[in-house]
Amino acid sequence: MDATAAAKRLKINRFLPYWAVFQADLKQTLRSWIYRVWVLVSLGAAVGWLLYRFGARQVGGFVQPAPEMMGDLLSWVALGSVTLIIVLTAGAICSERGTVADSVLSRGISRFQYFLGKWHARLVVVLGTFLAIALLAFVGSFLMLHTESLSFSGCLVALATVAALLVMVVTCGVSVSALSNNTVVSIAVVWMALYGVGFVLSLLPETIPSPDRTLQALPNVLKGFYDWQMLSRLISGSLSMSLLVGLVGMIGFSRKDV
Amino acid sequence: MADNSGDLVVETHKLTKIYQNRQIALNDVTLRIEPGCVLGLLGHNGAGKTTLLRLLLGLHRPTAGWAKVFGQRMTPNAASLRCRMGYIPTNPQFPRGLTPITYLDYMARLFGLPAEVRKPRLASLIRAVDLLNASGDPVDGFSNGMIARLAVATSLINEPDLLIWDEPTHGLDPEARRSMLELIKTLAREKTLIVSSHNLSDIDEVCNHAAVLSNGHLIYFGSLQDLKGRMRKNHYELDLEGDQKAIAKAMQTIKGLSEFKAVNLRQRRLEVRMTDDANTASALANVCMTLADNRITLVSIRSIGQQTEQAFLDLVEKEESRGFARAYQEREAA
Repeated sequence: MDATAAAKRLKINRFLPYWAVFQADLKQTLRSWIYRVWVLVSLGAAVGWLLYRFGARQVGGFVQPAPEMMGDLLSWVALGSVTLIIVLTAGAICSERGTVADSVLSRGISRFQYFLGKWHARLVVVLGTFLAIALLAFVGSFLMLHTESLSFSGCLVALATVAALLVMVVTCGVSVSALSNNTVVSIAVVWMALYGVGFVLSLLPETIPSPDRTLQALPNVLKGFYDWQMLSRLISGSLSMSLLVGLVGMIGFSRKDV
Repeated sequence: MADNSGDLVVETHKLTKIYQNRQIALNDVTLRIEPGCVLGLLGHNGAGKTTLLRLLLGLHRPTAGWAKVFGQRMTPNAASLRCRMGYIPTNPQFPRGLTPITYLDYMARLFGLPAEVRKPRLASLIRAVDLLNASGDPVDGFSNGMIARLAVATSLINEPDLLIWDEPTHGLDPEARRSMLELIKTLAREKTLIVSSHNLSDIDEVCNHAAVLSNGHLIYFGSLQDLKGRMRKNHYELDLEGDQKAIAKAMQTIKGLSEFKAVNLRQRRLEVRMTDDANTASALANVCMTLADNRITLVSIRSIGQQTEQAFLDLVEKEESRGFARAYQEREAA
């Protein structure tokens, strides 16, 4: 019964357990009511805002510059979505604690693979949905608004900046979910931590990038006027923090009873 | 038991689990399970059976001590060890919206089985557990029996060497229970099994070894025969038919025989307990002769001391009656 003989007998693809959890979680998240609410609210807000501005131009003859409108829209979608994204991610692992997690974690999958599968699935869902909605909004603004001042590189930088902030939100949600036993507690902890950190950062000097100031500056970024050094610090800082938080969540989960 | 620990399927050493410094679920459990062993895990509710099984699967981490499976330390990340294990939890639950085919496919992928291996295997298992007609139906609407059959198929999808089944007959009707026991007997020919159950007759039927847990402590580990044999030896019950006066007279005669230390009569049921040095065959022959002399018909005779249930209850009772002496004797033994 030595391990090598058994491994030879059983042809195993070591990547498959991760992929199985990733796919299962992707399907499960896309089917969840909270995801549908998030998509409907975001889409409704985007379409409503576009039509309102379009109507103001048609009826009142007001010039509607796309950068201001898109900057506002991206900020609202990002800020308004945070709570729903927290709910969507902070229950990713702890809501399955008990018998459902048993039936998965008692199989040939490591805790690391399980955590990574869940984390990456939620990242794909949130970022994919955000980028799809943003793309629709950009197409709509090009068709309906005054887009001469809109810069292509500015659009990409703005999307990358908001996406980097969302990566942080998703990672915090999944990591706290891995360390917590209760979904409600997990949601409360992530919500307070993210809003608390955002608030504290907004009080610090302007040389330190904060989510609040970054979102306010989005119209200028869309026009192509941005401090790349500052934004790259924000993006890399957000991604590094996400990696660190993800690592803590993964190691903590691998040492936890389920 | 094997001397070489590398040959053991399961080995635990002073395995202890304390939940958040509040509850001692398992206390100092040391056991060694050899290949081919069918171990019945016995104990009251809360005795620590499920905790022990979860520690063996790496779902829980021990507070102290260790558990080795196939000679390697079990940890939450020991996926390669779990690839050789099959598990059925007490109340198997399945994600919503899955059918037996999609669920088994998901489970097989969790073991890393590629499509050319897992697809034929899951088809064979669905057929084997008689779920072919329901293979496309959502699992949500399944009966207890169907869920149990799907759980069995799941635990066998990776062709494991070690099966850990937590109360596999729980909630099954008599027919399904019988099928489950027959399956365990079949699997026992080539695999090592750990079966936890409250139903002692099930354990009696399918297991060759037993481990008894009481309040998180392992109070017995060894062969089932030893467990049964060491408790209430030479204790028989006879069902009689005949005149009540004749039965009473026969009882008085039997009481006078030197081989018996206790003889009780309850209506037409005679309970006899022999002395430790009595020859069972000759003592029972004397009883039969006495009954024949008094024209009493012997309807049935059975040993009540050899039943697993009685042995288990006696063992737990004895352990509890030791009180604080438990701590003293353990330290002395250590």
